[in-house]
Amino acid sequence: MRSAFAYIPRRGPLQQARVGAAVSYLGALVVVAFLYSNPLVLVAAGLAACMAGWLAGARSAVRAALRMGLGLALLIVIVNALVVDRGETVLARLGHWPLLGQVDITLEAIVAGVSIGLRAAVTMVAFAVYSACVDPDRVLRALRPVAARSALTASLVSRLVPVAAADAGRLRDAAQLRGPAAAPVGRGPLARRLLAGSLDRAVDVAATLELRGYSLGGPRGARRREPSRHDARFYAAAVVVLAAAIVGKVVGADDFHAYPRIHIGTGASTLAVCAIVLVSGLAPLRVRRKGRIAKESANSAGRVRATGLPPSLKEAQGV
Amino acid sequence: MSELAIRRGAAPALAVEGLTYAYPRATAPALVDVSLEVAPGEFVLLAGRSASGKSTLLRAACGLVPHFHGGEVGGRVEVVGMDAIAAGPGELAAAVGYLAQDPETQVVSTTVAAEIELPLEMRGDAPGDRARAVEEVALALAIPHLLGRAVDTLSGGELQRVALAAALVTRPRLVLLDEPTSQLDPVSGDELIWLLRRLNEEWGVAVVLAEHRLERCLAAADRVVAVEDGRIGFDGAPRDFLAWTREADPTLMTPAARLFSLAAIEPLPVGVRDARRVLGERGAWPVEASATAVPHPGKVLAGETLPTDRPSRFAALRKRRENAALAAANLWVELDDGEGSRDVLRGIDLNVAPGERVALMGRNGAGKSTLLRAAAGLLDPVAGRAVADRMALLTQNPSDYLVRERVGDELPGAPGLAALRAVGMEHAIDADPRDLSGGERQRLALAIALAGRLDGEGVPGLVALDEPTRGMDRGRKDDLIALIDGLAAQGAAVLIATHDVEFAAEFAHRVVLLGDGVVIADGPSAEILSGGWYFATEVARVLDVPGVVTPEHGATLLAGGAA
Repeated sequence: MRSAFAYIPRRGPLQQARVGAAVSYLGALVVVAFLYSNPLVLVAAGLAACMAGWLAGARSAVRAALRMGLGLALLIVIVNALVVDRGETVLARLGHWPLLGQVDITLEAIVAGVSIGLRAAVTMVAFAVYSACVDPDRVLRALRPVAARSALTASLVSRLVPVAAADAGRLRDAAQLRGPAAAPVGRGPLARRLLAGSLDRAVDVAATLELRGYSLGGPRGARRREPSRHDARFYAAAVVVLAAAIVGKVVGADDFHAYPRIHIGTGASTLAVCAIVLVSGLAPLRVRRKGRIAKESANSAGRVRATGLPPSLKEAQGV
Repeated sequence: MSELAIRRGAAPALAVEGLTYAYPRATAPALVDVSLEVAPGEFVLLAGRSASGKSTLLRAACGLVPHFHGGEVGGRVEVVGMDAIAAGPGELAAAVGYLAQDPETQVVSTTVAAEIELPLEMRGDAPGDRARAVEEVALALAIPHLLGRAVDTLSGGELQRVALAAALVTRPRLVLLDEPTSQLDPVSGDELIWLLRRLNEEWGVAVVLAEHRLERCLAAADRVVAVEDGRIGFDGAPRDFLAWTREADPTLMTPAARLFSLAAIEPLPVGVRDARRVLGERGAWPVEASATAVPHPGKVLAGETLPTDRPSRFAALRKRRENAALAAANLWVELDDGEGSRDVLRGIDLNVAPGERVALMGRNGAGKSTLLRAAAGLLDPVAGRAVADRMALLTQNPSDYLVRERVGDELPGAPGLAALRAVGMEHAIDADPRDLSGGERQRLALAIALAGRLDGEGVPGLVALDEPTRGMDRGRKDDLIALIDGLAAQGAAVLIATHDVEFAAEFAHRVVLLGDGVVIADGPSAEILSGGWYFATEVARVLDVPGVVTPEHGATLLAGGAA
C-alpha cells in the first residue's frame, strides 16, 4: 500500500513547477515558521501550507501530516507545561513530582508550548506537501551539480522521506502483529527504530546511486532543462512571503511573548504578514484562461499519457 | 587501456590479487588474501555459507569496498583493466553492473522507466540512445509492461528484475549478482539464470553470481569459487566442486549430488540433465516408485492419514472448520497495485489443521503474502472471511519486530518467557537483539509474535512465516526446520509462504499452490512437488517418479531399483 507521503504525478502547477521553484515556495513557509513565534502568524503559515497541499491534490499527505504534526504539537505543549513553571496564571498545582520537583501548570507555559508545537506542525505539513508533490527523480537530478560527490546527501534529501514512509508502514504492520503479551511498541522506541532503519537504508540507496554513476559528473547539457510556466508564480510567492516576513520581523510583526503574562500582538503589521502568508497558500491554484481551455486540456491529455514514458521520450515529446 | 581494448575483452573482466579487507570496527577481516581471476565471458558461481565473505568480494569488485564502506584494504582489484581500489564505484559503473540482495534499496527513482534510464543519463547518453537501451533491456528481461509503473507498487520479484535491468542497461562487461533469485519464484528464478547465461554467451558478459540455492545455477556455471571464512576454499569446475563439498562442506552439496552421494553413484551430477544422463548410462533408473515405503512428511503411506483439505460433505467440512487453526472461506481481498484496484485473492477456501505443516507456494504476485496478511487481520476482505486461532505471523523482515535493546524488554514477564522458550531462545534473555545472529533474530521476532498467543500449556495456535529462508544457507534452513518440527510437535499449525521448493519438500506435509489469487493445487507435498517442472524439487526432476522429492527418499528408491 502506498504511503500518504509518496509522490504521485499530477498535472497541478506545484507538481509541474521546477524543483527550485517548488522548494523555494514551500521553504519560504518553513522560514516563516522558524522566524516567527506569534501564534497568529504560525497559524497563517500552517493554513497556507495546508491550502497549498490541498490545492495541489496532496490531501492525504496533508491529513497525515496534520495528524502527526498536531500530535507532536500536543506532546510539546504537555511537556512544556510540565517542565516550565514560569508564568503568572497558574491553572493547576500538581504538587511535587520526582525529578521535576514542584509542578505548576501555567497558561503561559501552555501558550509557549503551542507556539513551539505550531512551528513543528507547520514544518511537517510543508515537508509532507514537498514529499507528495515534488518529483524525487527531479530533485535527484537537480541536486547533481551541487551534490555530485555525495550520493549520500542526495539520497537523504530526495529519498529519505519515501524510504522512511515505506519503513513506517512495515513497522506499523509489525507492531500490529506483536503478540498481546509482548511489550507494547512505544512511540519513542518506534521512532528511534524508524530513524535508524531509514538512515541505514538511505545509505544503501546512496550506494546504489554511486553504482549508477551519480558522482561521475557526466556531460552537461545532456538533459534539457524543464521549465514550467508556473515557475514564476512560485518564485514570486516565495520572494513576497520572505520579504514580508523579514520586513515584518524588523517592524515588529512578531510581537509575542508568553512570560510572565501572555501578549500576542495583533497590530497592523502582524495582520498584514498573516494575510500575505495566508494568500500565498493559493499559489498552487490552477488558473485557466478562457479560450485556452480546449488547447490546454488537449495538451494535458498528452501529459497524462506520457507520465509512464522514460524521461528521454518525455523530452523528445516536449513533455 | 583503450575503450576498444576493453570492449574486445583484452583485459580480464576481474583480477583480484592478495585482497585482504576488514570492515570498520570489525574484529576480524571479512576477506583474507583472496586471489581470483575472471576471464571475459566467463560465468563464475560464488558459493559459501552465510557471512563467508561472498558479498564483500562482490562489493570489492564493484568498488563499494572500500570506497563506500570504508575499512582497511590491502592487495589489488582490477576490473576490465581499471584499478577498482583507486577508481571507485562511479568510475567503474560503465564497466560493472551490480545487483545486491535487497532490491528495495536498489531503486532510487519513482518510476521503472526512470530507474532503468538513470545510469545512461548519468553517463550523458543522448535521449534517443537512452530510450532504445531502456526498451531493449526491458524486452530482454520481459518487463516492458512495468515501464510505466511506480516502483513502490512493484512486488519483490518485479523490483529485482527492474534493479537487474538498471544494472544491465549500460551493457557492462562484468555483472556481479548477490543472491538475485532469493525473492523470485522458481519460474522467475530459472528464467533469470538462463537469461544471465544468454547474456553471457551472446554478449560476452562475464558473470559472477553469489547464490545459496546452487541447484538453480550450478549447471549454468563455467566455474565455481567457494569462499570459506573470507578465503578461497575451492576454485574449479562445477563437478570438482561437488566432489570437494563431500569432504569439505556437505551443506553446499546440491540435492541431486546428495541423491547420488547417498546412493553411491559416481560422478556427482552438476544438474538435472547430467544426473539423468548418468542414471541412463548406468541403467540405474528406479524400477517402481510405489515399491518403496520410505517415510516422508509429504508421502502418504498405507494406513496413514494426513490432515488435508479435500472436498467433503457439508457437515464434515463444518466440523473441520470448527477445529481448524486457520479457516478461510470464500475469501476475496482487493488491493490497489498502482494501476487501480484488483482482486488479489479470489474466493480462497482453505483449512489448516492443528499440527499440520503447510507450504504456501506460487509465483510472485500470486497472493501468498496477501493471504497471510488477511488471515492475520492486517487486510480486510471484501468478501468471505478468514478465521485464525491465535495466529502469529512473521513477515519477511524479522528486524521490524525488534525495537528495544534487550531481549527481555521485548518480552516481559512469564508469557514472554514462555514465548522465548517456545522458540528455544530463553538463554538470550539479557542479550541485545543487535548482537544476535540472523537466525536468532528471526526466532526472537517469532517469539514476539507468539507472546500471549500460547494456550495454558504453552501450545501455539497458528504459526505463519512469510519467505523465511531468504538469504539463508542450508545450515540455517535446517535450524529453521528443527524449530518448525518443534512447534508442530507441540500442536501448532505451521503455514509458510515460500518460493524454496527444496525447503518446502523438507518441512511440509502439504503444499497449497496459489495462482492468480486462487488455489490451483492442494495436496501432500510429495505429490505436488513431484508433479511439475517448476514447482518440483531437483530430485523430482531427476527421477520423475511421483511422490519422490527428497534425496533420502530418492536414494532409497535408487538402491532398491538399481540394476
